[in-house]
Amino acid sequence: MGDEILCISNVDISVEGKPIVSNLSLTISKGEVHAIMGRNGSGKSTLVNAIMGHPSYEITAGNISYLGVDLANLEIFERARLGMFLSFQYPSVIPGVQVGTFLRKSVAAVREDPPSARDFRNELKLHMDTLGMDRSFLSRYVNDGFSGGEKKRLEILQLLLHSPKLALLDETDSGLDIDGLRAVSEGINQVIPNAGCLIITHYQRVLDHVNPDFVHVMIDGSIVKSGGPELAIEIESKGYDWLDNKSGD
Amino acid sequence: MIAYSDIKIPSRTKHLWRYTPWRRVHPSKVEEIPDASALSISLGESGSMLEESNEIARAFLGECSAETRDISLNDEKSELELVATGEITCSSLRINSVGVSVLRIRLSGNPKWVGLRIEGVVSGTLSVVLINDLGADVHLLRCEDWDIKRDSLLELATLSYGGFLIKSDIRANLLESGAQFTGGIASHGHVARHDDHHVEISHMGKHTNSSLIVHSACGDSSHSIGTGLLKIGEDANGSDAGQVFRNILFSEKARADSIPELEVLSDDVKAAHGAASAPVDKEQVHYLMSRGLNNSESESLIIEGFLMDAFREIKNTTILDAIRTRLLVHLDCLVKG
Repeated sequence: MGDEILCISNVDISVEGKPIVSNLSLTISKGEVHAIMGRNGSGKSTLVNAIMGHPSYEITAGNISYLGVDLANLEIFERARLGMFLSFQYPSVIPGVQVGTFLRKSVAAVREDPPSARDFRNELKLHMDTLGMDRSFLSRYVNDGFSGGEKKRLEILQLLLHSPKLALLDETDSGLDIDGLRAVSEGINQVIPNAGCLIITHYQRVLDHVNPDFVHVMIDGSIVKSGGPELAIEIESKGYDWLDNKSGD
Repeated sequence: MIAYSDIKIPSRTKHLWRYTPWRRVHPSKVEEIPDASALSISLGESGSMLEESNEIARAFLGECSAETRDISLNDEKSELELVATGEITCSSLRINSVGVSVLRIRLSGNPKWVGLRIEGVVSGTLSVVLINDLGADVHLLRCEDWDIKRDSLLELATLSYGGFLIKSDIRANLLESGAQFTGGIASHGHVARHDDHHVEISHMGKHTNSSLIVHSACGDSSHSIGTGLLKIGEDANGSDAGQVFRNILFSEKARADSIPELEVLSDDVKAAHGAASAPVDKEQVHYLMSRGLNNSESESLIIEGFLMDAFREIKNTTILDAIRTRLLVHLDCLVKG
């Protein structure tokens, strides 16, 4: 391991003035997979949205640096262009914009040397095959009428095309059947060697396919316990109450 | 004969003239018929004047028109370039279409004022797009009247992003049974554009269908207006009609007014209308920015999608390709400044 990519130092995060995350610290290096688990409303999604720069999420204390640069100095699109990628829990629908057009524009935006049309098509085909996606996806409107599984596949297709240095995956496993989970996990595993990866999940099942180096448990906006993959298994069987009781320890 | 000078200036109580009164549309003093030059027109032959009208805009265009062109389409795809030069320019077109035809009209140039009157008769299927690519300061008055015959279809698309003050008054008459009209209008409001579309669809024959979608994306201090009047006559049983007006506002100073109206005189019909305006969805912008697009690129893509969505009922791919191509060029120019 090594090559620090993301360093979160003692951050507090508020949404519309309401404190959600408090005094959270976490460091992610290249090739590392960190999983954050926790109940609904524990602040997991708030954390990744704040890292990506969503305007509704305000970092009120501490700081986050990405590749040594303070995130406060970077616009959202600049973060993306520097290799940060968020797979959304609820990706937006963009009516009238075809998936193919959208992907071509986003790839052109994030790469210093955008691929030729031919190279882009080949790359697209390769990744769509990995994810078991039909070509007809490309002429559909972005997330318009997509099932939950289709939305998640499109997110991971973008992940593969962007080939980021930091992948933030917000409940990418939700809404997926077994085959979908396997395909999406394969996509995630492809980017891990060259990226730091932060996976938000409720379930241990995605971690059967994507092996985490670290598992963290968030309760009430703070990381209350960190461990290895065995922690996810323990949570799967015992739930969160035992950790909630220890939160003051 | 009814002369323009005999027609009373219309009241602003009518939706047609509420937001863009005749005095703003007229190119000079309201009592005058100014000298106008003809548009440069790439198709057709010189013809006689169009039918007279007692409506002020049509009567004015009839008297002001420097030329009338007859265009006959018979199972063909045609491109019509209308280039406006000079200070005041005005022409009329009479279009007669049989079989399955496609007509792409591009209106360009940079005079002070442009008048365009179109009369069309459709037997068969005609797909038409008018792309308003006029210069930024131009005032445009456009009146169209389309008669759609038995079992015929008119697909009529408008992409409007040029000019400064635009008044369009479009009428489609579904005269006989089985006649269909599919309309799509996309307007991009930027800088201080004022773009006013009025669309009247009259169902006169039985089992006639119409669909109209009007989408306006309004930025800066632009003002978009969409008024629709859907008339279903007493002999139009079994007809199905719908119209939707939707607006997205990209700035606090932008305005959009949409008023769809229904006038139904028959019992056995389906008729629906709706209008909605909303600010741009910030989550959409955030999503696109998280994919590396900056703010203006993100908004441009949202505008592209929203405006193209106005043409979702249009089936002709030649028309759709032409619209998308011109729209992308227009939006790219804006993004790149």
